[in-house]
Amino acid sequence: MCGAHATVRGFLGELVAKAPDAFDIVVDMEAGLEHLSRGTGKHVSRFLAVVEPYYRSMETARRVSDLAAELGIAEVSAILNKVRTAADHDAVSEFCAAHKMTIAGEIPYDLGLADAERAGQPPLDFSPDTPSVTAMRKLAADLIATG
Amino acid sequence: MRIAIAGKGGSGKTTISGTLARLLAQAGRQVVAVDADTNPNLATTLGLPPERVQHIVALPRSLLKRETQPDGSITSTFLRDPMAVLEEYGTRAPDGVRLVVMGAVGHGGAG
Repeated sequence: MCGAHATVRGFLGELVAKAPDAFDIVVDMEAGLEHLSRGTGKHVSRFLAVVEPYYRSMETARRVSDLAAELGIAEVSAILNKVRTAADHDAVSEFCAAHKMTIAGEIPYDLGLADAERAGQPPLDFSPDTPSVTAMRKLAADLIATG
Repeated sequence: MRIAIAGKGGSGKTTISGTLARLLAQAGRQVVAVDADTNPNLATTLGLPPERVQHIVALPRSLLKRETQPDGSITSTFLRDPMAVLEEYGTRAPDGVRLVVMGAVGHGGAG
């Protein structure tokens, strides 16, 4: 393990263990989970894998889920993203069921995000009522409700 | 709560991480957003303007003490209180989200 990874692991471990409970911590992770140690994994209350409805994304999610299990994370939930059709929804839902991942939320494919991206603005500011942001708002509310 | 969000590059995880962090903050919660990706983009997604993104300082390696033990194993000790590190290296993003960036591509010959 390289020094940079070790620093990140060290900080994350300390932060999740020692930050007051009043703080919510949201970590944007690498798919390889290099920055989580077993000790840190233990303190993660919600482990979310973003899954898109195509094969390689689901393969990555499966690997993430296996790595999370090795780190002692009991439950991995999926956020289905870029869902366009009922077939998309079914494919990803079946994948999650097969790999014992619960579904935390579903975000539709949304060209409004590309517009925000092009403008260099956060979607929340650029198009706060676009369908994907509405779905993320519901996800945030659900996360708050379930702790 | 402590939320970790993982996914393939391009899956939308950074957009989701940043938006969720701000939505939690808008709901009145104190939020720390951590960019642990080697290609850090969370700052922009949170809504920090480019001139502030430029000045974000990633956590230096000197915060970690690494020692080789007599048996050859390496132990790592993080030397600082994480909340003090947050004060020193954290950046204020919209809605009061505090952002910490872990590293960047090519940063100090990481590897």
